[in-house]
Amino acid sequence: MATTQRTKIAKLDMTEIFENHGRSRDNLIPLLQEIQEHLDYLPPEAISRVADHLGLSENDVYGVATFYAQFRFHPPGRHRIKVCQGTACHVRGGGMVLDAISRKIGIVPGETSPDGNFSLERVACFGSCALPPVVVVDDTVYGRMTARKTEKLIEGLE
Amino acid sequence: MSQINLTIDGKSVAVEPGATVLEAARRAGVAVPTICDHKDLSPYGACRMCIVEIEGVRGFPTSCTTPAAEGMQVRTASPELESLRKRTMELMLSGHPNSCLVCPHREACESMRPKATKAGRSTRCGFCSNKEECDIRTMALEAGSRDLNLPTLYAAHNLERGDPFMDRDYNLCILCARCWRICEKIHGKPAISIINRGKDARVGTAFHKSHVHSGCTFCGSCIDICPTGTLTDRFARWYGKPDAKTPSACLLCPEGCALIAQTHSGKLVAATMTAFQSEASLCALGRFGMAQIVNASTRLLRPAIRENDEAFTVDWDTALDSAANGLKQHAGRVGILISAATTREERHLYARLAAGLNGRFAVVPTLPVDPLPAGQGTPLPEWLADIQSGKITALILGGDFLERELARSLDFLLVIDGLPVRVQDQADVVLPAALLAESAGTLRTAAGQIRSLARISRAPGQAKSEWEILRDIGQKLDIAEMHFDTLQDVTAAITDDAPPASFPGRPRQDVFSLPATYRGHLLADIIPALSAFGLPTTYDPSQEVQPTEGFELLEIRELVPNMHLLRIHAPQVAAHAKPGQFVILMARETSERAPFTLADWDAATGSITLIIEEVGRSSRELISLSQGARLAHVSGPLGQAFPVERKGTVVLGGGCYGIGAILPLARALKEAGNRVISVIEGSSAYLLYWEDKIRAVSDELRIATKDGTRGTYGGVQEVFQEIREREEDQGAAINMIVAVGCTFMMRMVSELTKPWDVSTFVALNPIMVDGTGMCGACRVSIHDETKFACIDGPFFDAHGVDWDELACRRGAYAREEVEALPQTVDLNTLMFPETAKQGCGCGG
Repeated sequence: MATTQRTKIAKLDMTEIFENHGRSRDNLIPLLQEIQEHLDYLPPEAISRVADHLGLSENDVYGVATFYAQFRFHPPGRHRIKVCQGTACHVRGGGMVLDAISRKIGIVPGETSPDGNFSLERVACFGSCALPPVVVVDDTVYGRMTARKTEKLIEGLE
Repeated sequence: MSQINLTIDGKSVAVEPGATVLEAARRAGVAVPTICDHKDLSPYGACRMCIVEIEGVRGFPTSCTTPAAEGMQVRTASPELESLRKRTMELMLSGHPNSCLVCPHREACESMRPKATKAGRSTRCGFCSNKEECDIRTMALEAGSRDLNLPTLYAAHNLERGDPFMDRDYNLCILCARCWRICEKIHGKPAISIINRGKDARVGTAFHKSHVHSGCTFCGSCIDICPTGTLTDRFARWYGKPDAKTPSACLLCPEGCALIAQTHSGKLVAATMTAFQSEASLCALGRFGMAQIVNASTRLLRPAIRENDEAFTVDWDTALDSAANGLKQHAGRVGILISAATTREERHLYARLAAGLNGRFAVVPTLPVDPLPAGQGTPLPEWLADIQSGKITALILGGDFLERELARSLDFLLVIDGLPVRVQDQADVVLPAALLAESAGTLRTAAGQIRSLARISRAPGQAKSEWEILRDIGQKLDIAEMHFDTLQDVTAAITDDAPPASFPGRPRQDVFSLPATYRGHLLADIIPALSAFGLPTTYDPSQEVQPTEGFELLEIRELVPNMHLLRIHAPQVAAHAKPGQFVILMARETSERAPFTLADWDAATGSITLIIEEVGRSSRELISLSQGARLAHVSGPLGQAFPVERKGTVVLGGGCYGIGAILPLARALKEAGNRVISVIEGSSAYLLYWEDKIRAVSDELRIATKDGTRGTYGGVQEVFQEIREREEDQGAAINMIVAVGCTFMMRMVSELTKPWDVSTFVALNPIMVDGTGMCGACRVSIHDETKFACIDGPFFDAHGVDWDELACRRGAYAREEVEALPQTVDLNTLMFPETAKQGCGCGG
């Protein structure tokens, strides 16, 4: 985990977030969302504190959190790579592009590389369906990607 | 409140308000299929098997979640419902290994192999310990169809065997959520949940923590409510369905919980809750521990006495005489030290014995780890100090409470226990006692309630009930107060026993406050898995000697589920190996010798390759090794090489591990100028391997799967039949057939080809020990002549094999094979590094 992330967790006083939410179960998702807004992801401590606050099992909180694609469980890397797996990208080989990136960095979607450089996400659609398959790195859209092209792209980022 | 009237399939029925349509149907005597529904759980509506049609209601609501309403017209059967249920069932089965359900040979196979194979992964019913009790299987068999239109998707989740007492294989899970629901019902905050979503949804814990750290109390209710073989009791799983369930109670702590004792062939295998209710829950020790204590391999079996520093086993009468004589000589100076984990009757008789001998008597309480300050053992009575001062010269010891030093000051020591004590070799008389479920009696709980203990498990060796031992000693000593004919007479004589102090821990809620000892014995020494809960043990895994010499494991990987490739450095074997030969492996010096066919070898690099299917203890030990580990022994090449000659057209069949075994045969037979047709068989397409390798050394490769997911639907025999018909159509012939696989497969091939008059060879796999023709364990009958598979085989003329004899001999140690599985410390040492690695799961 990158040092900045550790500092961020240490500094974050989640007390305020918890004070703003009651202890009924319907606060679960708003709590998770607010914590993620502050931390960029949901570390195990956060899940455990949410569970304590709401009197739930942390396994159930984790179950709910993993149901929604919006929640992340690893701190985002310095470069966030998102690979489209929508219909157009799928038929033009988006899956192979994702696999190639996965192999190149050595992580699966949802994870962050141990050096904190990259995080990898699968996304349903960017709306750039004319350019399949699409890869978005940070805020830049790269269209008509191939496995080879993405590998080069990542090498350029390192 | 007035009742609700409705009709189910035309039958009028009245139910209480709040009842569901499913309950109304059951009231009306109409059977509706269900899977996720359970009488002790609230409705969930996950499996969708219980769908019905309701007049005026759109769609097909699940009857389990639909409240009954006045005037409802419900139909539980119609062509649409049948078709939907069939499709639901198919969807469920596509995510659950199902090849046995659709296999055309199921009936024949199961009649020859009624017991499930002790596989690591249950890739089919025949490999599943839950086979006899599976709701999915029952429902699929009742439906009767072998026609599945969806592919099998094997999820390939890791086997979860790192936690104490339970094995989990989520590849069998159908997501009925019974486990999660029962966990929530009993414990409030479940230790598991449904995590992820869509096709990745599964039962799991937050951040994949081990259950030791996820809040699990190991009450086992999830195991007992799971409709599939996903969750299993590691100890009990391979014994098969319990043949008796008897209400009894737990003696292991003063809580004295009521339980249901499950027995198989007169042996306790598990204890379960009396009901799926919070109040009825059991702790890890109650649920899983009792069976492991009574089945411990260290149990005391025969009475023994010591004379002139030498111990002898003797008959009961001699031992009781020695005990009585010894005690008589020390009357007035006798101490009795026993455990609180005894029945009321036993304690009553001990008290009477103490009175009769004018001695001291103390009951040592059962405590958890926490209240014991470091270095201080169980609190013992002060009068023990009188041993040193000589005021007490004889002691009756009913547990492991005495230090060796103190025992030296005694003139006479009588041990009455079921497990060896530290001062065992200092005892003058040792009397083996029946433990726990092996003897009847009553207990009083800390809450004051009296509960009965059922005698349902056979005591090992000559061990006897403790109350009988005491009564007999009393008789030998002529103590009139100890004269009782029956146990009931003893029970009736107890008038004033006080309830024991409550247990200073909450083992049913907190797995880290379990009792640390049983009769003074460290429980984690008897049940090593308990050390995962911080229970002290004298066993130190770091003292295990890791072999530095031996045969290096160059490569190990799971080729397909449950089938492992091991490449081992064994240059002498590689230099001399010939097709058809085998090796005998021993993972460590203490391992069983286990034979495996050579699937490949390379004389240049000195390596041999084996395909090992996990089907029992030895194979599990081998596949649990890591790359770079050393095997204690590799003996080989053994057996006769296959006679490779030019025959013409040769058809080879390999099933399961036999796929690997036919590779060298195909290669050699092809090199000898034969036309080689290789047939490989797997239960399902995802279990096939080495297709390319075998195709490369064959003129033709054919595939058979038992579920029809690849190639021919069926086994190698169906393909052999097809090939024969094709060859005959072309005026050609098959000149030789070779089959390697399970006994059932080879037998089927043998029966098929017998009338063909084609020479057929099979590689026989009887139980084998030394592999050099000395022991005779691998004796087989070929054309009524005795042969040894190790030196005369492994290949024999299939048409001369006495298959019934082979099957019988292979099954000779079925029970011992099961018992060898979970009781060994070896498996637990394999387990602990993994648990330690997982830590709390926080990644910190």
